[in-house]
Amino acid sequence: MRWRRCSVALIPVAAGLVVASLFTQVSALPNPIIYVHVDVGTAALLAGLALSILAAAGLVSWEWKRWRCEQRIAGVRTQAAEERRRFLQRLDHEMKNPLTAIRAGLANLANGLSPATQEEALASVEAQVLRLSQLTADLRKLAELETRALERVPVDVAELLQEAVALAQEQPEAAGRRLTLVLPQAPWPMPDVPGDWDLVFLAAYNLLDNALKFTRPGDTVEVRAFEDGTFVAIEVADTGPGIPEEEVPRVWEELYRGQGARGVPGSGLGLALVRATVERHGGQVTLRSRAGQGTVVTMRLPARLRPDRFPRVSS
Amino acid sequence: MTTKPKILLVDDEQAITANLSPFLGRSGFVVTVAADGEEALRQVSSFRPDLIVLDILMPKLDGREALRRLRQAGNWTPVILLTQVGESTERAMALEEGADDYLNKPFDPHELVARIRAVLRRVRPGQPPLASAQRLACGDLILDRQARRVFAASEELRLTPKAVALLEYMMTHPDELLTRDRLLDVVWGWDYPTGTRTVDTRIAELRRVLNDDPAQPRYIETVPGQGYRFVGGVEVVP
Repeated sequence: MRWRRCSVALIPVAAGLVVASLFTQVSALPNPIIYVHVDVGTAALLAGLALSILAAAGLVSWEWKRWRCEQRIAGVRTQAAEERRRFLQRLDHEMKNPLTAIRAGLANLANGLSPATQEEALASVEAQVLRLSQLTADLRKLAELETRALERVPVDVAELLQEAVALAQEQPEAAGRRLTLVLPQAPWPMPDVPGDWDLVFLAAYNLLDNALKFTRPGDTVEVRAFEDGTFVAIEVADTGPGIPEEEVPRVWEELYRGQGARGVPGSGLGLALVRATVERHGGQVTLRSRAGQGTVVTMRLPARLRPDRFPRVSS
Repeated sequence: MTTKPKILLVDDEQAITANLSPFLGRSGFVVTVAADGEEALRQVSSFRPDLIVLDILMPKLDGREALRRLRQAGNWTPVILLTQVGESTERAMALEEGADDYLNKPFDPHELVARIRAVLRRVRPGQPPLASAQRLACGDLILDRQARRVFAASEELRLTPKAVALLEYMMTHPDELLTRDRLLDVVWGWDYPTGTRTVDTRIAELRRVLNDDPAQPRYIETVPGQGYRFVGGVEVVP
């Protein structure tokens, strides 16, 4: 890059030479209309000056762009560092509680208790160990999502959602919620989505599960899907308590748990998994929420344009 | 009275061997422990185990390489691999290298004992296990494991990659009750909240493509409330 800046300094010299030679030619020709009389030295000087100003302006704007670019990179780095710091803090927090419970449980066991309390202590230690196992399993899923080979089969989104809704309806959390599925019938059915059936199902089910977990009896949960340009959009909307505005940008981060999520079981990895899955499929996720009114989460997945090698997966 | 089966437990993590070894002992096995692949290979010739439980990530000689050397030397002692990272590539590799089964860490020790018993029941002394064969056949159904292709009466069947992996695991573990949870663990490597349906969907795909009637199965039998079993006789295609 340095040689480029040096060469810029040569531009006025070259320009001066060109103008000087032009004027020698012009004054040699007969010209009855316009008569210019500038001596060669002044002309060269003026031309050099003008071009120097231009070159300097170019240099300044180039440096300015570079500085802005560096600022942006630094911004992204700081943000990544900040996210990492928050992630580690949350991980530490997620592990602290089960570990404390395990230590207390083991201390109780070492104290020689009655068989009944001993059994209780053992059960509690086991539950906490399972909780930690679940956490590592979820973290592993997230890590694996970035590298694992995706199966690409034509996924029938309508059928997949029907199945996800049917499964969700069986869960105890669904009690008292109005759970509806809206699918376009006209003028044509939705196109398939090329993707990993299991992962797309898991992502859709995670959203549905979240909606049921965070709503109250009497609330409505609506699942809908529609064609959106070259994408298929899947939305899960609910009339739940909503997410405070300041928490919305954070909800996709690993292990993030909002204020309203305290006391609701979960690791805070569900939405992060949804995002990673959708992004691996070349799609996008968005979340809109209004406190007191509800939440809409949208996954947009690229639609299938060409026929695929594999048959459709359906049950 | 039969003698107790001899198990060689190979893991560099002392905390694991120290707890697993007595557990396996109480479950009716004679256990010897090795801390790395090299020591394991030495123990194989001196201790002559009936089965080896082998961790993958170890110093000196890792489990994968130890297994390869063992098989190259023509030793077909059954091996259960303990996969550390749970990576799907690692699971695929485990079967390719001729492991009889594999288990993702962290696991329930009772599950390990169940797997050890299942593998020991299936073993055909001195013969290569089904898990090390390139091609398997059940009647006119042929599975080419390396090419990931399935044929019925010489005609290629169109199956999703996941369904091929499921069929592969079932054909390398015939006559064994395979619970949905276990199939999820070994084929998907994930636990899904939606687990059972995930497996059922692929079983349905297999049955449809293989033209297998669940009421009178030639290949896959449903064990009500428990899981599935591959009931066809599986042979190695030379």
